[in-house]
Amino acid sequence: MRKIRLIPRLDIKGPNLIKGINLEGLRIIGDPNKHALEYYNSGADELLYMDSVASLYGRNNLEDLISKAVKNVFIPITVGGGIRSLDNAYKIFKCGADKIAVNTAIVKKKSLLSELVKEFGSQSIVISIEAKKISKNKWEVFTECGREKTGKDVMEWAKETVDLGAGEILVTSVDQEGTRKGFDINLVKNLSDLLSIPVIASGGMGNIDHLSDLIDQTNIDAVCMADILHYKKSTIPKIKSEMVQKGFSVRKYYD
Amino acid sequence: MKTKIEKKNVLGLYSLPTNVKFCKSCTISNQRPRINFDENGICSACNFAELKKKLNWKKREEELKKLCDRFRKSNGEYDIIIPCSGGKDGSMVAHQMKQDYGMNPLCVTWSPLRYTEVGRKNLDSFIASGFNHILGTPSPIVTKKLTELSFKTIGDPFQPFIYGQYNFPLTVALNFGVSLIMYGENGEVEYGGDMKNAYKPDRTVEDQLRHYFSGVPPKQFSEMGINKNDLKPFDAPDLNRLKKNKTEIHFFSYYKYWDPQENFYYAQEHCNFEPNPERNEGTFSKYASLDDKFDGFHFYLAFIKFGIGRCTSDSAHEVRDKKITKEEGIALVKKYDGEFPKKYYKEFLDFCSIDDDDFTKIIDSWRSEHIWTKDKEGKWILKTPIWN
Repeated sequence: MRKIRLIPRLDIKGPNLIKGINLEGLRIIGDPNKHALEYYNSGADELLYMDSVASLYGRNNLEDLISKAVKNVFIPITVGGGIRSLDNAYKIFKCGADKIAVNTAIVKKKSLLSELVKEFGSQSIVISIEAKKISKNKWEVFTECGREKTGKDVMEWAKETVDLGAGEILVTSVDQEGTRKGFDINLVKNLSDLLSIPVIASGGMGNIDHLSDLIDQTNIDAVCMADILHYKKSTIPKIKSEMVQKGFSVRKYYD
Repeated sequence: MKTKIEKKNVLGLYSLPTNVKFCKSCTISNQRPRINFDENGICSACNFAELKKKLNWKKREEELKKLCDRFRKSNGEYDIIIPCSGGKDGSMVAHQMKQDYGMNPLCVTWSPLRYTEVGRKNLDSFIASGFNHILGTPSPIVTKKLTELSFKTIGDPFQPFIYGQYNFPLTVALNFGVSLIMYGENGEVEYGGDMKNAYKPDRTVEDQLRHYFSGVPPKQFSEMGINKNDLKPFDAPDLNRLKKNKTEIHFFSYYKYWDPQENFYYAQEHCNFEPNPERNEGTFSKYASLDDKFDGFHFYLAFIKFGIGRCTSDSAHEVRDKKITKEEGIALVKKYDGEFPKKYYKEFLDFCSIDDDDFTKIIDSWRSEHIWTKDKEGKWILKTPIWN
């Protein structure tokens, strides 16, 4: 039976948890690890840390943050943003990350994906795709936090990365991200129908109905949420219990 | 058409200091016209950003309420003109003036030279969120001619737009008998100018008519072959009529803490504002100045004249607002500043009826020796980049 994983997404800039809209804006929400701990304690299945401006500035600096987080958080942690080399990846894993998410660097240099898979295994490599809708049933891959066009088609690109050994696909809808207007269901549906590996949907969740529509209509495995949790519009226990009421299966939450 | 272009005296025209110096706390340089640096090497905009945090904003909001009480009509007639393009800033001002302060605004847009798709969409979304609105569109034939001439002579293709941006709201105010005009931010305070403006909520109409057109009022274009009557829509109304109307120009940024990034969040939530689908050329941001296909050339010219491109300006604002650090700002400037606006280049050349060669000649006529030099391969480079 498919249990949907709920993954709070922590977008980071410098020392701060931030929240944008359409991957734009850097509004500071607070201390990332405080939020991480709260989400872990309230039943999150995994966590995603994303240094959203790492590629923009050509840096990555989540190591310190992750080293501290793993002392208190005992669910899988995925770390993304600015991973450009095997060495970068080593350092992130050494801090205690379970998986890494890559986007910009792989788009620039596809061979890096094969190297990462060979070194760390598919199970630990998440391909992050920033997808922007360009017409009905067509999405373009963006990089550098939704700033740069690549000309790549999302479906083709996802397929390519799966062939190279990607373990999971995290797809963020640039159009829906931060808007609270619901997921790009069509995007997620197309992707999850196409791929044999788990797809994580990110971007747009404003209420529980958005989530149930998504699960109803797609073959999704996991869902990222940020706005709804950071702004305290809901909590993970509430979301999980509402999901159970609607007949969906989630990992049980023990207080 | 081949154009004879003379070398311009940038230093003299804008009274620039000959030694390029950068603000100690942000990314702006002393080449920005009218900016001041204090004895510690901090620019006036940064000093204002610090002062801004200490101002009594509660008291200033009380002043805003009093201002509204003085002008509110409550009889269905418009009582405030809000210049607003449907961008994040004007949308926020209009929405708050209506919802929170009970005013009945007439929103006014002066058309960009050429709308981008997202710019037009944002204007429509803004209007759809419940506003009465007037769009002023001058004859594109005259606008084109003016754009070409101002690009060649003033080195800023945006001049015809700037005329309308300042003058059209005045015309609308007169015609509708509205005495209060509310702009968003006072650029002379937020982005560097005389600090005395920090304590002033308004600008006199005389001041507005006198200052903000690079010393070239619309009527000057009649000397360059444009029919006087065709210039009328770009021109300001008669000063005496404006005074008789008791026209007052105020700035929202005097009354309430001005934070462009927060305006973005506000406009998205309340007026369905959308950022640009991709990064604006020449900078990192997606949420500012995105409605005109040709604004890249306005910013590019500033880069040529002053070494201050769009990314320098954008990053300086965000450093002052504490959204990014100075080091991040410098990294962004190095990465994006001065990027050529290639996306609409061809369209721009057609609009101005010039060719590639004319364009380069015009650009080079604005390169001052104190800012530009050539590298070994003969490529233009900044003499004093911020990252050196």
